[in-house]
Amino acid sequence: MTKWKSARAGAMLTVFLLAAGSAAAQTEVPRAFDGNPDLNGVWQAIGTAHWDIEDHPAAAGPPDMGAIGAIPPGQGVVVGGGIPYRADALAQKQQNFENRWTDDPELKCFMPGVPRATYLPYPFRILQGDRKIMFIYGFAEANRTVHMDKENPEPPPLDTWMGRSHGRWEGDTLVVDAQGFNGEAWFDRAGNYAGSGLRVVERYTPMGPNAILYEATIEDPAVFTRPWTIEMPLYRRLEANARVLEYKCVEFSEDLIYGHLRRVPTR
Amino acid sequence: MNRTRNILLPSIAAAAAMLLPAPAPAADYHHVHLTTSNATEAIGWYSRYLDCEPLADRDDGVECGGAQVVFDSRPTLGSSQRTGIDHISFSYPDLTAKMGELEAVGVRGSGVRLQRFQDGSTLRDVPGLFKHGFIFDPWGTRIELVEDSATLGFHHIHLSAADPAATLAWYQERFGGESARLRGRIDGLRLGDVWLLAMQADGEPAATAGRSIDHIAFAVPEMDAAAGDLRSSGVAFLSEPAVPDGGRTGARRAFVGGPDNVSLALVEEGFAGVDAEFDAPVDITTELQPYTVPRTPWGAPDFQGVWTGDAAHGIPLQRPEDLAEVEVLTSEQAAARRERGTLGSIWGYESEWRDTTLGYVRSAPSRQVAMVVDPPDGRLPARTPEGERLLAAARAARRPIAEGPEDLSSWVRCITRSLVPTPGVYNNGLQIVQGPNHVALQREMIHETRVVPTDDSPHVGDAITSWLGDARGRWEGDTLVVEIRNFNGRAPYQGSSDALTLTERYTRTGPDTLEYRFTIDDPKVWTRPWTGMFTFVRDETQYELVEYACHEGNYGMTNILSGARARDAEESGAGR
Repeated sequence: MTKWKSARAGAMLTVFLLAAGSAAAQTEVPRAFDGNPDLNGVWQAIGTAHWDIEDHPAAAGPPDMGAIGAIPPGQGVVVGGGIPYRADALAQKQQNFENRWTDDPELKCFMPGVPRATYLPYPFRILQGDRKIMFIYGFAEANRTVHMDKENPEPPPLDTWMGRSHGRWEGDTLVVDAQGFNGEAWFDRAGNYAGSGLRVVERYTPMGPNAILYEATIEDPAVFTRPWTIEMPLYRRLEANARVLEYKCVEFSEDLIYGHLRRVPTR
Repeated sequence: MNRTRNILLPSIAAAAAMLLPAPAPAADYHHVHLTTSNATEAIGWYSRYLDCEPLADRDDGVECGGAQVVFDSRPTLGSSQRTGIDHISFSYPDLTAKMGELEAVGVRGSGVRLQRFQDGSTLRDVPGLFKHGFIFDPWGTRIELVEDSATLGFHHIHLSAADPAATLAWYQERFGGESARLRGRIDGLRLGDVWLLAMQADGEPAATAGRSIDHIAFAVPEMDAAAGDLRSSGVAFLSEPAVPDGGRTGARRAFVGGPDNVSLALVEEGFAGVDAEFDAPVDITTELQPYTVPRTPWGAPDFQGVWTGDAAHGIPLQRPEDLAEVEVLTSEQAAARRERGTLGSIWGYESEWRDTTLGYVRSAPSRQVAMVVDPPDGRLPARTPEGERLLAAARAARRPIAEGPEDLSSWVRCITRSLVPTPGVYNNGLQIVQGPNHVALQREMIHETRVVPTDDSPHVGDAITSWLGDARGRWEGDTLVVEIRNFNGRAPYQGSSDALTLTERYTRTGPDTLEYRFTIDDPKVWTRPWTGMFTFVRDETQYELVEYACHEGNYGMTNILSGARARDAEESGAGR
């Protein structure tokens, strides 16, 4: 207990000094009670990263969905372009792509994992308190608790879809170290993926009151030859009374998953 | 790790205490300390399935072939596997028969979990060694069963070490014992009749403290000398030699850190454990003391933390007729009620799962008679004619054999599980995180999170209905009042409708108690609003919400629907 207290006191002191140093530089960034940037609010990525985090041309979407399901073209979010897959991992990615209309965990309303939850086309809330920062996403009721007050256990206690997240402030940047993934989640609808060795170090840096620069460095030595980074802005949802509404998608996935087990099979 | 506090937790841990004769260099092997959820259950389990016998002189342990296993009740932080003490081992003269017996009882009803080899077998004959196989006890302790006629009964403790040879040398240097090779093949340390073995760990082993094999204890003839020796050899003391609170004798105990994140206890002669009753768990039924609710840095009442409804599990919604005049149950009645509500429904679940949930940690079972506090008679008010009609219609719509997912409940479908978080046999956790103007109430079940605005923002439009509804909150003094509406009515609570307004009141009544009141106002269904109440208990030392990926792993749906289709096939076959 004593150890925890002293560690905490140290952390608060650091925060205070950094905040004092940076306050003059970025006066427009809203500040929380402790002088750190105040990230509270509803945010959303805009773009096509949810379709494919790499550069991609327009393409047909799922069968029978016409232009509603078609894939708009998009510029990739991978810094430097290109994901450094190992050869066998690239083959797996290509297989994922081939099978994307049946295998993508998003189709099944499974939790999206990290970083995919960030840039799915739904809003998410950051709830920033004094001990935890919660991310409440708009898809599959996914959420994360970022522990600002606990030591990061290595290895993480167990594997989950959304991983285990520990955070710290580096100046005005919230750095979140997320590990302990189960390797089931994909990065996008194009089949980009990582395994259970995934570690995502995210950096949330305010670009002003209504935008955050999101950077995520991704490593998984079994899948990639080196760490790589994606980056994109996150925009504040400025509508009055903007909310992350409950979107329980389970029932919309049931036909896909269990349709063959209906009395009158639909699949 | 706050060792003292850990030991004081109401014990569901099992301590395996091996009292051995004394060929003592520096210390004797004394016991292995296991964690189970309930000493009485653990004594029964080890007696029934591993042929141990209840100890005659204390009520928290068993003797297994000359060695004692003592149980200390508290929730575990998980299996022993992959910690610095991977497993313990018992030896039987005819392992084929023993394993056949265990395989026959099955996990359901027994909690015996077999660990199969890759080819599906439970038993393997290692040439030149002996037959062996692995099981888990219901609390997560990995147990190796061997057929070694040279040592029957308790056989060995298997450490998992970054450097096995160095680890064995470490133990020998400090606690004595004799270097030997088990069957001439496996390096080990002989401590009396018990083998200490060490396997190569895959990475750094996890800490044993809090896991199902919590520690190994050594009896030392002279505590001060032994402690001094250990200290001078650089061993870290996790707790200094002292008579533990609640110690049954005046013998002292100390905890030290061994290699590979293993906790070790030193005990003086005469040490007989800690009386579990000494640690008074939180009794949420006792009269409330005045309490000043702490504030967040921005001045709101601070409810943050992880709470559980475990203590309230078993409280019926309505007051039973035969308890009309009873104010509160006795502790014995409450304990019996909770046992009735859990035993029978829990055996067969994964042990770790059951442990961390059935741990029921620092909370005595609530003595509250019923949840309903208004009407004062503890009974639900009369239903309206429309309420009766809805109830009858819902009953009539039930299909005994599901035609598709829609015929199964939102519970089974992993969509949502009870509008009111009344506790059940597992996953009763509630994590509260606060920020300025918002409170997040995250339920462990289904990882559902309600974000409640506490500013004056309006409800969303009436057309936006949902399973959990639209919540708005306000502070009334130190009470968080949450008003929830816009329900889609598809997950009724006690037959509620889409006209429901659910009002929740959270009040922190003590450092570790959070009173929860829920008012059901559904004029379509009931002739008047009614209110229920129970209390959450804070449990941050043992409890952390773990992602409950329910839908993602919903094999139950596949199995139920497959079963239904098999039934269809049978019936159409029978009809021909």
